[in-house]
Amino acid sequence: MQTAANMKSYLKDLDEALADKFLRRTLEKFAVAYRAGRKAIFADINEKALVAEISASKVEALGKMEELYARFKAEAEKRGVTVHRAATGAEACEIVCRIARENNVKRIVKSKSMTGEEIHLNHPLEEMGCEVTETDLGEWIIQLRKEGPSHMVMPAIHLSRHQVADVFSEVGKEKRDGEDIAGLARFARRSLRAKFAAADMGISGANFALADTGSIGICTNEGNARLTTTLPRVHVAVCGIDKITPSISEAMRIIKVLPRNAVGQIITSYVNWITGANECALNPGGKKILHVVFLDNGRSALAKDPLCGKALSCVRCGACANVCPVFRMVGGHRMGHVYIGAIGLILTYFFHGRDKARNLVQNCINCEACKDVCAAGIDLPSIIQEIRARLNEEEGSPMESSLLSKVMANRKLFHTLLRFGKWAQRPVTGATPFIRHLPEIFMSGQGFRALPAISKKAFRDEWKTLKTSLPARGRYRLGLFAGCAQDFVYPEQLKAALEIFRAGNCPVDFPPEQSCCGLPVRMMGERQAAENIALQNVRAFAARDCDYVITLCASCASHIKNNYGQILAAYPHMAFEVEQFSGRIRDFTSFVRDILGLGADVFKKTGEAVAYHAPCHQCRGLGVIEQPRALIGETGEYKPSDEEQTCCGFGGTYSIKFPEISAQILDAKLSSFEATGASTLVTDCPGCVMQLRGGEEKRGRKLKVEHMSEFLARNIKT
Amino acid sequence: MAETEDPLVSLFKKRATAVTAKVVEVKDLREAMSYALEVCEKKDFCEQVYVGDNVKLGSYGKAAQKMLAAPGLSKQNFAMLEKNGKEKGFTVIRGGLRAHVSGIDVGFSTAEMGIASTGTCVLTLNNEDMRLTTMICEAHVVALPKSRLVNDLEDAENFLNKIMNKGVMYTSFISGPSRTADIERVLVIGVHGPLEMHVALMES
Repeated sequence: MQTAANMKSYLKDLDEALADKFLRRTLEKFAVAYRAGRKAIFADINEKALVAEISASKVEALGKMEELYARFKAEAEKRGVTVHRAATGAEACEIVCRIARENNVKRIVKSKSMTGEEIHLNHPLEEMGCEVTETDLGEWIIQLRKEGPSHMVMPAIHLSRHQVADVFSEVGKEKRDGEDIAGLARFARRSLRAKFAAADMGISGANFALADTGSIGICTNEGNARLTTTLPRVHVAVCGIDKITPSISEAMRIIKVLPRNAVGQIITSYVNWITGANECALNPGGKKILHVVFLDNGRSALAKDPLCGKALSCVRCGACANVCPVFRMVGGHRMGHVYIGAIGLILTYFFHGRDKARNLVQNCINCEACKDVCAAGIDLPSIIQEIRARLNEEEGSPMESSLLSKVMANRKLFHTLLRFGKWAQRPVTGATPFIRHLPEIFMSGQGFRALPAISKKAFRDEWKTLKTSLPARGRYRLGLFAGCAQDFVYPEQLKAALEIFRAGNCPVDFPPEQSCCGLPVRMMGERQAAENIALQNVRAFAARDCDYVITLCASCASHIKNNYGQILAAYPHMAFEVEQFSGRIRDFTSFVRDILGLGADVFKKTGEAVAYHAPCHQCRGLGVIEQPRALIGETGEYKPSDEEQTCCGFGGTYSIKFPEISAQILDAKLSSFEATGASTLVTDCPGCVMQLRGGEEKRGRKLKVEHMSEFLARNIKT
Repeated sequence: MAETEDPLVSLFKKRATAVTAKVVEVKDLREAMSYALEVCEKKDFCEQVYVGDNVKLGSYGKAAQKMLAAPGLSKQNFAMLEKNGKEKGFTVIRGGLRAHVSGIDVGFSTAEMGIASTGTCVLTLNNEDMRLTTMICEAHVVALPKSRLVNDLEDAENFLNKIMNKGVMYTSFISGPSRTADIERVLVIGVHGPLEMHVALMES
C-alpha cells in the first residue's frame, strides 16, 4: 500500500524496493513466465475480438447502471436476498457492521474481495469485536503480517516461502519448514477449516452480478469462496456497482479472458453462481441470510466521465501489472494504494483521492504494454495522462512542468533555447557527442547513461542545403516531421533517412513551422500546451501537398496518429486538416519496407549480427512489428531477443523523474541484448537511441546503437 | 474400421486432464458408483482437520473408517452404493454433512452438464448437503453423461438461464481440484477443497 506523503518519500520507497533482491528476482521470473504463459493460453481463441466484445458490453452496461441495479435488486429480492447500496466506503462498512450486529455475529470468514480492501472493511468489524479471518491463502498471509496486497490476484507475491513459514510458525506456535510449500498450504487448510466451521458470517466479493436473475458470480481457484458462502449462516457479498451485467452472456465472455489474463489458466477451478438465498440448515427458516452490498464510492459519477469512465470496465485480472516494466522493478506496494498496476494508479485517484494519487500517477512510463493486454480494452496510459492534467488543473502545475510547457508551446522560443544550448553545453561535452560533466543540479540520478550533446547544427538550419540533393519529382511526395530529438540532437538520423528517400526516388518537403509533437507536455499533464503544439503542427502541414508525412520517431508518430484527434476535438472546423495530417503520418521503417519496398536491390548483404529494440510506440502504438525485422534481414543477420518489446526505460520525462527505475530497466534490457551476440543494436526512435546508446556508453560500448535510418544508409550498395 | 471418438469427448478429456482431473469412461451410473468406491478404496484414510473444541464437527487426525457421501442419489441407487460400500468397510452417508466438516474421503455427485473447452463440470447444488459434499471431501467423483457435453461456455448459457430463472439456485462450474499458487507462485493442489477430482464420463 503506497502512502508516501510527498515525491521525496515516494522516491525513497522506490529505492528500497529496487534494493530488495528477493522481490526483484521474483518479479523478474514472473514477468518472463507470464509473457510465455499468456502467449500459449491465448493461442486457441481470438483475443482481440473477445476483448472488443467485452469492452463494448461493459460500456453499454455502465451506460445503464441505474436500470441494471433496479433489475438486479428486484430479481434478487424475489429470491430472498436483501440488496443494499452504499454511496461511500464508510456507508458500506456501516451496513456490513449493522448486518453483523443484527445477526449476533462474532466470527467472520472472508474470501478475497478487492472491494473489501478498497473500503478497509476489516477495521470497523474488528473494532466492534468481531474476529475477521481472510481465507484466501495469500490474503491470510498478508493479514497475519498486517500488510496490504501487492498484486490484485497474487496478494502475497512479494513474500518468500521462508517469510511465509516464519509467520505460520508464529501462528501455529510450531516451527514450519519454508522449503515445504505444500506443507505450508496444508497448514493453512487445517487452520482455516476450523475458522470456516466456527464462523457466523461469510463475506465474499463478486466478479459478476447478473441483473436478469439477481445472481452473483465468484471465480476462485482455492475453493475458499465456496466454503465462505456455504458454511456460515449469514453471507454478505460486497461488490462495486460496476460489476452488474445484464445477463450471464456478458459474464461468460469475461470468464473466457479473466483467468487467461490473470494467471494463464483457461478457467478458474471454481466459478460459483449464487442465485438467491439458498438452503442453510443453521437458520430457523432453513434459508441462508444473504445480503448483497453494492458500493458506489464515486463509481456512478465516474461512469458518466467521457474520458475516464472506461476505467470502470476493469475486470480485476491484474494483467496491467503483470506486463508493466515499472511493476517488474518495484512491485505492487509501490504501484498502487489498494488497487495495483496501471488500473491501480487510476482507481487510487478516483476511489482514494488526490493525496494518495498525486505521486503514484507520475509513475507510468507510457509504454502501453498494459493497454495491449487489457481484458476490457481500456486505454490505461491515456487515462493516466488525463489524471495528470486534472491534477495540474486542480492543484496548479509544478514549476518545472509549467515552465517547460510554456517554452515548448512557443516554437520560436523553444528552438532558440535549443540552439543556445549547444553553446551553453560546450564546457561539459569536451570533444565528444556526449555531455560529460553536467553540474549536479541537472544531473541528479542521471549518471546511469551518458546524455547526448545538442548538435552543432540543427537539421532545420541545414535544410536549405540538404534539399538540393533530393529529387524534385518522384514516386511519392513526402513531408518530413522531424521531432525535436532528431532536429536538434541527432540530425544525422534524418540525413541518413534522406539518403534512403533518394534511393527510393522520393522528393521531400520540410515545413519549418513544425514543432515538437507535444507528447512530453501531454505526459506532464499540460493540456493547453499539448493542444497549442498540436494545432501548430496541423497548420504547418495543412497547406503542403504530400502523400505521406514520414517521421523517424515512433513516439511522435503514435502521438500524432492516436491522440491528435482527441486533443483537438474542440476544433471541429479543423477536423479535416487534423484527420488529413494524422492520417498521412507514417513511421520511417514501415514506409521503407511496405511502401517503397526497398530490399536486396538497394542494400548490400553483410551478415552483420543485429539485434532490434522495438520502441513501445512502434510495436504497440502503431502495430508495426514485422517490417523492421525484415529490413534488418535484408542486409544483416537479425538476432532475436525475448525482451525486444520491453520498454527501454526512457519514457521521455519519466527517466528524469524516476532515474533509478529507468536505469534498472535499461540495465536489464542491455544485458539481454548483449547476450544475443549481436554487434549492433538497431531501433526506430531517437528517444530509445538516446537511452540505449547512453547506457552502452557507460557499460563500455559492447553494442553499437543506431537508428534504423543510419543502419540502412550505411548499407546502401554503392 | 475403428470407431472415431466424439470430438467433444476428446476435447473434454484433454482439457480436464490438463487441470489435473482424472477422466474415466463408464457405461452408466452404476459403474460410476463402483468407480467412486474404487477411488475410496485406493486412497489414504482421510486426514480429518481439527475444527475446534466446542464445535462437534467430527473427529481429528486420521479417520478410523473411510467415509463416502452421495446426497444426490435416488433412494434405490443410494441403497445399492451403501450396501457395496459397507462390504468394503466404508461409511456411506447421504445427509448431515455439517457434522463432517473436518473432512470425508469421497464425495459423489452428478453433473448437469460438461463444458469440453474448459474441462468443466456444471453442478446444481441448491441442496446444502450436495454442496458441502463437493467442498469437504478429499476426492470428488463426478458422474457426467456424455450426452450432456457442450463445446464452450456460451453453449451452456441457455441451460444456465433456464435454471437461474426458476428461482433459488447454487450453481458451480468445477474444473479440476482446488489449487493455489499464492506462495512463490508454486502450484499446490488442494488448499481448501478436494485434493483429487475424478470425472466418470457415462455412455448413458
